[in-house]
Parts: sequence; C-alpha cells; structure tokens
Amino acid sequence: MTDQFYTMGVDVGGSYVKAVLVDYSDHPQIIDKHTEKIRKRNPADVAEELVNYILQQNGLRYEDIAYLASTGEGEMVNRKKGHFYSMTTHSKGGEFLCPGAKTVVDMGALYVRAIKIGERARVLDYKMTGQCASGSGQFIENISRYLGLSIEEVGDVSLQSGNPEVPSGICAVLAETDVINMVSRGITTPDIIKGIHLSVGGRIIKLLSALKAESPVMLAGGLAANKGMVQAIGELLKESKYGYEIVTHPDAIYSGAIGAALWGGYRHVKLSKEKMALA
Amino acid sequence: MQKEVIKEKSMVLQKEMLAKLFKDLSQAHETGKKVVYTFVPGNLSELIHAFDMLPVYPEINALQSGMRKKSGDFIRDAEKAGHLEDVCTYVKCDIGMMLNGNIGPTGEKLPPPDLLLLSYTGCFTFMKWFENLERYYPGVPIAMLHTPYQEGGKITKEMRDYMVEQLKQEVIPKMEMVSGKKFDESKLAGILENSARAEDLIVKIFETTKNKPSPIDAYFAGVYYIGPINTGFRGRPEAVTYYETLYEEIQERVRLGLGPITPEGEMEEERFRLVVEGPPNWTSFREFWKLFYDMGAVVVASTYTKVGGVYDYGFRHDPKRPLESLAEYCMNCYTNLNLPQRIDLLEKYITEFQADGFLVNSIKSCNSFSAGQLLMMRQLEERLGIPVGFIESDLVDPRYFSYSNIKNRLDSFFQMLGQRKIIRGQMEMEAVV
Repeated sequence: MTDQFYTMGVDVGGSYVKAVLVDYSDHPQIIDKHTEKIRKRNPADVAEELVNYILQQNGLRYEDIAYLASTGEGEMVNRKKGHFYSMTTHSKGGEFLCPGAKTVVDMGALYVRAIKIGERARVLDYKMTGQCASGSGQFIENISRYLGLSIEEVGDVSLQSGNPEVPSGICAVLAETDVINMVSRGITTPDIIKGIHLSVGGRIIKLLSALKAESPVMLAGGLAANKGMVQAIGELLKESKYGYEIVTHPDAIYSGAIGAALWGGYRHVKLSKEKMALA
Repeated sequence: MQKEVIKEKSMVLQKEMLAKLFKDLSQAHETGKKVVYTFVPGNLSELIHAFDMLPVYPEINALQSGMRKKSGDFIRDAEKAGHLEDVCTYVKCDIGMMLNGNIGPTGEKLPPPDLLLLSYTGCFTFMKWFENLERYYPGVPIAMLHTPYQEGGKITKEMRDYMVEQLKQEVIPKMEMVSGKKFDESKLAGILENSARAEDLIVKIFETTKNKPSPIDAYFAGVYYIGPINTGFRGRPEAVTYYETLYEEIQERVRLGLGPITPEGEMEEERFRLVVEGPPNWTSFREFWKLFYDMGAVVVASTYTKVGGVYDYGFRHDPKRPLESLAEYCMNCYTNLNLPQRIDLLEKYITEFQADGFLVNSIKSCNSFSAGQLLMMRQLEERLGIPVGFIESDLVDPRYFSYSNIKNRLDSFFQMLGQRKIIRGQMEMEAVV
C-alpha cells in the first residue's frame, strides 16, 4: 500500500497553463485545479503564479508537495522535480478521467495528437496533425477573434448553428480567406463557427483512422472544453463509416496536468524505495 | 554560446581538398582549365577528370550558401527574376548566386562553364535548371545524358546499352571538343580504380554504424563524409587518402566504444537509433542536428547520403568495363530507384542497423525525394511495426524552417520511441529533466 502524499502537475500549453493538486495514494484524488491563459506573459511566471495560488488556496507550502511535475512546454517551470513528456501525461490523465479509454486525443492550441494506449496507460502508437495550423486550437481561436468572439463563447455559439458552412480543411490561410468570404456573403456567425469546428473535426477523424484507433476514444486537451468541438466530432462520426465511441470529461482540459501529477507520484514512490534500500 | 567543434584529421583534409578545388576553379581562366557544370546524382566525375577538366556542382554551392546563411537573399533575388515559390530552392539559390556575381562558397568567383553536362538522374527539375543556365550562358555547349528511371526495379541490357551509346555519341565527343583532348579509355580505367577503392571504403565507413554505440552519425555527419565523393573527388587519389584516414579514425572510435562527434560535443549516451529519409535542412543545420543530439538520437543510416550513388548492394565502378559501369552507376543513384526499391533499401537499413524508428524529413520543393514518402512511411510501419515520424522543412530556404513545428513533432516521435523501449523493458519510466 502506498503512503498518502501530495503531488502537483503543471501542464504548460501553447495557450493556457493548467495545474492540479493531487492527493496521491493507491486511489489518487484531485484536490484542486486551475487554468490560466498565458496572454503574452512568460509561461514560467504564469506557472509559478498558478502553483503559488493553489498552494495558498489549500493552506499548503511548497515543502508539503512530495513531487511537482511539469509537462507540455513546462521544462522551464521553476521548482519542478521532474518533467514528463506530454504524450505519457495525457495518456495517464486521460485514462484516469475515463477509465478504460483505449485512445486519447490531445487537442491543443498548436496541434492535435491521437494516442493509442495500452495497459497502465502505456503509449502504443500516435498520429499528429501536419505542420499547417488548420488542425489546431489556435486556428479556432484566431477565427473566433476575427468574428469578435471570445474563445469561451465559441462552443455555445457553434451549438446554435442550423446550416454550417465548412471552409477549406487543408490550409489555415485558405480557410481564413473562406471565412472572410462567408462574412461578406452574410453567413451567420454560428454557421461559420460550426463550419470551422467541422473542418478541424474532420482532420481529427482522419487521425483516428490513420492510427487505427480503438474505442473508447477520450477527447482531452484544451479543445475538449469546447462543447462545439465535441459535438462536431460526434456528428461527423455519425455520418462516417467509423464507429468510434467518444467519451470526454469535464476535467479533460487537465488531462496533461493530472497525468504529470500521477507520474510524479509514481516516481516519488520509486525514488523513496530506492532511497530506503540504500539506507 | 556555441561549443567549438572538435576537428579530426579527416575534417582538415576535406577542408583543404575543397579549398584547393575552389582555388583551382577561381584560377581556371588563367590556367586554361576547362570547367564543367554538372549535378551530384549520376555525376560523371571520372570522365571529367579523364579530360583534365574541373567540375562545378550547383547543388553543392547552394547547400554551402544555405549553411553560410546566404541562400535567403539569393532565393529572393531569383524570385524577383520570376522563379516561383514552389520551385526547387537549390535552383533558385544557384540562380540568385549567379545574379549576384557567381561568388562561390569560399568567397572566390566561380568561372563560367565551358560545358553544361546534364546527366539528370531521377530529378526532372535538373533539366529545367539547365534550360535556365543555357539562357544565362548562351553559346555554351550542352551534353545531355538521359538516365532511364528504374521503373521495373532493375537495370536491363537495353537500358545500359542506351546509356553507353549516349556516352559514346553525345557526352564524350562534346568533352573532346571542349577540352581539345582525345578520349583515353585506359586513363579513365585508372581513375575508376580509385573510384572503386573510395567506394569500398565508404561502404565500410557507413557499416560501422552497426556498432552500439554507433561511432558516427550517418546523416548529419554523413553529409560531410560524402562530401569528397560527391564534389568531384571520386576517382582521385586524394579521395582514397581521405576515406582511409576517416575509416581509421572511426575504427579507433569503435575500439574505444565512443559515440559520434557532434558540434555540441561527443554524444555520450545513445538513446535512440534512427534511419532518416530525405535531405537535411541546411539553413539551420546545426540547430536541426542539436534537436537530435539533445535527445541522444543517432542516425545509423540515411538515404540522402546515397543520393550520389548507392554502393550498398555491391556496385563499384569497374575499370574493366568503364563506360558500362558509368552507366550502371548513374542508374543506381538513390532517386533513380523506384519506390518499392527504395522501401526495400530502407527496410534493409532499419533491420540491419537495428534502428528504433524511421523518420522522414520532407522537402516539398524537392520532388525527386518527397514524391512517395508517405507511402514509404506507411509501408515500413506496416512491415516492421516501428515508430515513424514525419517532419517538414526545406533545403536552403530559411523561410520554411519552423523550429517549433519541427521540435513539437520530433518531441512526439522521441516520446513514442521512449515508450516502446519502456514497454520492451529496455528503459524505465522516468522524468526527463
């Protein structure tokens, strides 16, 4: 049986920093979680603020945390004990949130990555979107900004669409030109936004098919918090020949941070055992 | 601050050889040496030497300009002159260099050609390239050697005869005319003996990567190793000396169990062994290499180092069959192989060199390499079940090198390689920093 202790996971993404506090044991529990948009600040500073905020909110000191683990672009996170690769953390976090998931899709600001996982959330294979930004969350954010929406609004706006208009799914620049043209043709904002979601969703389904993904497929990462995105993927799958079962979780945006905290706990236990053996 | 690169004897030798070649080229007008512009894949270095002429390789100049951060301006000038963004950036860099006075990589002016020798191999762009050069150098004779593509996956007698006939009827008469010398087959045979010796050595050198750790990197350092053989020294005694020296140095590394020398220092731990398909990026070459070095990734075989000749299956230039073996050499170059042949070659590399993964660096503007790369990747993934990765950059256009995009993709690829090792029990799950 594993002793109880606290771990923290900090996931530095392209757009947001996500942090979780975990009560680690044989049955880990999430105690607290927060996200913060980077907004042109130094990600290391944002991460540090977030760590301090969570410690303060929970009446803890840094010394009370047995292992602070970073992931994503978090190599620069101050005071971390270790950094874990984001594929391994998203797999671990995805499986924790949706036990039994066989595929985890990390839908981030810079790219989307579909990861096939095996026992104990081991990464078996992966596929990721190409270099073009048209397969990324940042692309959705850019289009939203162009249409005068905040990223928090786009999910709900997308759900209002009745007749979506899909732009080019090959190139972000072509898609932006398409959107400008749609605006001038009087296409409604919900229909444009839904079209964008369908375009990105189409690329995600292609990834799943290239990966020969297995169900359940867990949608994770920042885009999983976007209801419009989740619905668009569901609709596309219904129309497609692929019968993937899609699952997600309200905390799916934290999958990387949770995974980091859990791998941090695993490492802490291992290091403690090694230390004891040496003593 | 960048670390100082360790210079081995072979490196110094190569530098001296190239410096002398460019010096000779800059003085060609005074010394009366005739100059042949030609290409690396399917190059006829031995024949050029047999007529005492000097070679100029535009792709080599372009990649050197790329490494010296000059290609961006040259490409922009070529685009201003009407060459589109999708055109091969070697071509645009070369044309830009000409438009700016044809100053070569060593800072010395390159002489204009006395002969344009177009022996294009698996790359149709070469023909268009020389159509442009013909306009820039009006009146310069052109010798064209058409190399049949290995569509059927083998070299037939008819293909060989067709090429030998072209050598006899088209290439050699033009060389005689330009050089003012009569073709001497015994002289060519003597040169080909040196070629075969250098080729034996280069095969041995690239086979040293079967050792663990690999003593060399067969991609990033490999492109330096193929320098002499691809820049006109094949067939010359200097190349034999160079490869003997290099082989000795590498054998010593094997004996001491050392990993490759890199610009960042010696690679101390070999974590991943890779096979890489496609040319490297030259404009951010050191940065690109460092991404692999930081991860302990060593390239144990690459196809780009075979662009100037595939010697893995035993082909050697043969003094007893001089023209026939020149023909076979051209048809055997990597980009002249069909896709199933390329896939088989890659499979051989991955298996024999015990690679952990396969990576493609795709260059959109290089059709001869990038066509079919996705198919190759899928087939190898299916056949061997190894992790595969795909990144995109360019040869010498700095605008197409996106560091973060490449890093993101390489990070995922290396993570996958690490996970496979964890599953196989070859590595522990641990924090990476």
